[in-house]
Amino acid sequence: MKKTLLSSVAIAVLFFAGCSTKEPAVDEQQTQAQEQTTSQNGGEASEVTTEQVSSDMQEVGSETNAVDTAEQMIMNLQKKLQTVYFDFDKFNIRADQEDKIAIDAAAAKAAPASLKIKLEGNCDEWGSDEYNFALGLKRAKSVKEALVAQGVESERISMVSYGESNPVCTDHTKECWAKNRRVDFKVLP
Amino acid sequence: MKYLLILIMSISLYAVDLTIEVKKQVDTLPSLAIEDASINYDEGFKMAFFKALSADMNVLSRFNVDKHRIITYFNASSVAVENKDKSYVLRYKLFEDDSGKLNVETKLIAKGTVKFEKKYKISKKSAYIFLSHAIAYDINKFLGGDDVSWMKRRVVFAKIVAPKKSEIVIADYTLTYQHTILKGGFNIFPKWADEKQTAIYYTSLSSSKPTLKYFDIRTGKITSVASSDGMIVCSDVNDDGSKILVTMSPSSQPDIYLYDIEKKSFKRLTHYGGIDVGGQFLESDKIVFVSDRLGYPNIFQKSIDGNDVEQLVYYGKTNSACSVWRNYIVYKARESSNLFSKNTFNLHLISLNSDSIRRLTATGINEFPRFSRDGDAILFIKNYKNQSAIGVIRLAYNKNYLFPLSSGRIQSLDW
Repeated sequence: MKKTLLSSVAIAVLFFAGCSTKEPAVDEQQTQAQEQTTSQNGGEASEVTTEQVSSDMQEVGSETNAVDTAEQMIMNLQKKLQTVYFDFDKFNIRADQEDKIAIDAAAAKAAPASLKIKLEGNCDEWGSDEYNFALGLKRAKSVKEALVAQGVESERISMVSYGESNPVCTDHTKECWAKNRRVDFKVLP
Repeated sequence: MKYLLILIMSISLYAVDLTIEVKKQVDTLPSLAIEDASINYDEGFKMAFFKALSADMNVLSRFNVDKHRIITYFNASSVAVENKDKSYVLRYKLFEDDSGKLNVETKLIAKGTVKFEKKYKISKKSAYIFLSHAIAYDINKFLGGDDVSWMKRRVVFAKIVAPKKSEIVIADYTLTYQHTILKGGFNIFPKWADEKQTAIYYTSLSSSKPTLKYFDIRTGKITSVASSDGMIVCSDVNDDGSKILVTMSPSSQPDIYLYDIEKKSFKRLTHYGGIDVGGQFLESDKIVFVSDRLGYPNIFQKSIDGNDVEQLVYYGKTNSACSVWRNYIVYKARESSNLFSKNTFNLHLISLNSDSIRRLTATGINEFPRFSRDGDAILFIKNYKNQSAIGVIRLAYNKNYLFPLSSGRIQSLDW
């Protein structure tokens, strides 16, 4: 006995359930950043049309100098901090990296205490699983503990792991993989 | 009769333990030819549909599929001359109806008789691949094959497009259809939040702290579940979606937590000072997870309420990822003694009820295994040279199929 079935509804439900978002969502943080930029631009345009008096211009100028100084401090500290490298599948600080830790700790202590430091743990390309992210985190934690042991306030340090997703080198060589097994420093205001 | 008995015994034995490898010869499979009786659409689309259907019938692993496309009329009284000797002929007709929808009529012919007929319809022509999957699913079901519901499920994956930049994409299992649902930030580890695939959990690294988010795909609404310094990942969702296993590090220490969705409460399940990650539900009261408590990553289990930890895997040097289905565990292992040899990571299958172990892959970097909900297949990521692909392992047929990604690298997936 032949039996003909019409399954259009089933197919439609199967596929389109959960696909109502036709345009991809944009990451919230990105959206906020874009909105902020737009707002600032709008403010500048408004100042020109209302012809601000000179005293206001001086205030703007002094704020700019303050911003410049803060940014300068961040840049100065960022330049001094040195990336720490690790062995394959290890998160202990290598002997040849201890001098860098000492330099990093000294730089962090000499900088204003208001500046925060984010430690970014990274791994080579051998695995995209959670373990690799945890390995990156443990590397960041090792650096944090070493910095704290040398006098840097723990509260100034935050951490994030990027696993294998933030390579500085993409060749498939031992030298390249070694460059990616690292903890980077990012100075935050 | 003797050979028939051996065959039946082999199949019975195989049904008991998937870790025992059985190879079926292609020549012993019934032959299948596909005849195209389409109208309306251009030749490029017709050929794309034929290839998709041919691939799906091949993945069923129950036919020796003829790769030649034979053009015919849908109501032709007999199969094409070239297909006279085929065990089965699958004939289909693509056509556009008055409302512009893509329609497909199909019929399965064997020994000159129409055994099965069905009509399909979809409004988005670009989603034609799901019609192909549905046809393959229905024919397999009609012929009494193993359940292949996984064919019709959607895969969600994170694709790295640049350092610290990713997109989350929904696709069919062959990656033919792809729909980007989240872009513009650094979002990884997507995980379906429910059986119906209406929402996902994912990790956002765009915020000041790593944050676990919930994305309702139907409404587009995104909410934050929890955040943690260091890392936070949803590793598994239980069958009814009421509880999830989360790896996070609120005190800088990666451990596994159980999160109750309704109560919004966390329960810490592991307390080891090294690395505990990747929790997977085992039955209702245990978890399987990855830990480096022996000095290298390996697979362990523990009960949700107890403290005792048991090693589950005794083969492999770096066993850093796994997936669980009932009493089976598929895990990723580094086998070579050379840390960076070409043959580096392969997938293996073990059963908690036996000591046997089955190697599932042979070359390249094979990782991120995920069982289908029915245990029939395993989806995984294969990275070979500079190309990333999604792989499908049909356990019962000892066959692997690869579907490459045209650009970017797959970071993680779920289905």
